[in-house]
Amino acid sequence: MSANDSALLVAQHAAFGYGRRAVVSNVDLAIEPGDFLGIVGPNGAGKTTLFRGLLGLLPPLEGRVERRARAIGYVPQREALDALFPVTVEEVVQMGAFGKLRGLRRLPASERERAIACLERVGLADRRSAPFSTLSGGQRQRGLIARALMVEPELMLLDEPTTGVDRAAQARILELLVELNASRRLAVLLVSHQISMVRSTVQRVLWVADGRVRAGRAAEMLAPENLDKLYSAVGRPAGDEE
Amino acid sequence: MDGLEAIPWSERISLFRYALLSALVAGTVCPLLGVFLHVRRTSFYGIALPQFATAGVVFGFVALPWWIEHVGLGGVDLAEATRDSHAVMNYHLAWSNVFTFGGLFALLALSRRGGSEVGRVAGAFAIAAAATLLFGRMSPVGKGFVDELIAGELLGVGLHEFETLAVLYGLAALLFVLFRRDLLLVSYDRESAQVLGKRVFAIEALLTLVTGIVVSSGTMFLGPVILFGLIVLPAIAARAWARSMSSYYVLAIGFGLLAVVLGVVASFEFDLPLGAAIAGAAAVLLLPGFLARRG
Repeated sequence: MSANDSALLVAQHAAFGYGRRAVVSNVDLAIEPGDFLGIVGPNGAGKTTLFRGLLGLLPPLEGRVERRARAIGYVPQREALDALFPVTVEEVVQMGAFGKLRGLRRLPASERERAIACLERVGLADRRSAPFSTLSGGQRQRGLIARALMVEPELMLLDEPTTGVDRAAQARILELLVELNASRRLAVLLVSHQISMVRSTVQRVLWVADGRVRAGRAAEMLAPENLDKLYSAVGRPAGDEE
Repeated sequence: MDGLEAIPWSERISLFRYALLSALVAGTVCPLLGVFLHVRRTSFYGIALPQFATAGVVFGFVALPWWIEHVGLGGVDLAEATRDSHAVMNYHLAWSNVFTFGGLFALLALSRRGGSEVGRVAGAFAIAAAATLLFGRMSPVGKGFVDELIAGELLGVGLHEFETLAVLYGLAALLFVLFRRDLLLVSYDRESAQVLGKRVFAIEALLTLVTGIVVSSGTMFLGPVILFGLIVLPAIAARAWARSMSSYYVLAIGFGLLAVVLGVVASFEFDLPLGAAIAGAAAVLLLPGFLARRG
């Protein structure tokens, strides 16, 4: 994959792993404005390792990764956030602005207003004072997307954004991502084990298996006949949803 | 506190003003630390670390004869040092720090190996408690001093101790205020903090430093029981009522100060050790939240 000057994230011959052991290697990838990509593959193949490497949470063991986007929005798995924190929805979204703030400075009024605007964008403005832990799974996910929007991202990375939410909530989250992708040319990269969701939503797929990454158009790579071939080497795990 | 009932309240407050002011300072700062320990699910540190600090102070007495003979303490002799612990306050504060930070770093290093956090901290507490009693028997001032330290008889706190505590706790409070957003973000969502460009390791090191300062100096001047009470209990009591992080900080401090006031009243009225009375009052403040949840 050749990288244009406009690319927001470029990986060249990159390898990611833990300690000295590479889990995925020879990753060549360029994400352009307006791209919509999904990372899919069997359980344990290295989807999360690749995702964390591209996000910058794991340094590359080989090759290089350039994050050229002015700002990157990150949406973690909502289960990673502890309900013991009595944070409100608005407080969670305001955390997106913490990267710019230092010391005693109060959160400027403009950032508070922007937090509300981000909540309106994801349809949660009326729940802004509610404890974050009382939201449904889908609402929490949209709240985290609102937080990621606070950094005014050019690229948004989402970790399993629709896992564990009902179909209506799933549709709403995907609608929102598609709308952000189309209206703002926001590049989106999500990791998911939900094949049918990825196939119907993303443009390109990064298929991770056997420590390698194969890229292709979603409609082709995830067509049922190709999926059988892709899974034939490793077997289709029970956790993967078609 | 024999004969205390004969002294009017106003005189008692005046007589013990430095102890009371110290307790109020602790009632403000310890719950703030407790909030972070509680939401990070490390409240057990609030129990284990004061015990380490206590072991450190008592070990200071065991090492005192050797120290005075070989290193010296600014001309203070052993008789004076054992008669008046105020004379060697900084020496004991140093031992309190050594044991607190030693215990804290050991627990953090062991946590990287995985396994049960609760088991590790409980084991550390047991070791520190046993060490405290053993050091107490070996020390030249004997078991009585250890009992007094553990019971939290903090009425003897004087101006110098209060000033030192106020400076150290003031520093801790300032660090909490300055870095409250970073501490919250790193505690709530470590990975997002990294993506936002925060220096996560430095922020976690800061929390470790503040924990060490609050615990070692608090235990040294006020005793471990009041520290157990004011670090752990107000944060738990306030969590039942908090509806936002901002309200959580305020409520935890409010419960901490209320526990100090109620503890002082109970101590003066019923002739109870002040530190234990404050911890007891903090425990009573858990009840409304517990009952409200059941209701």
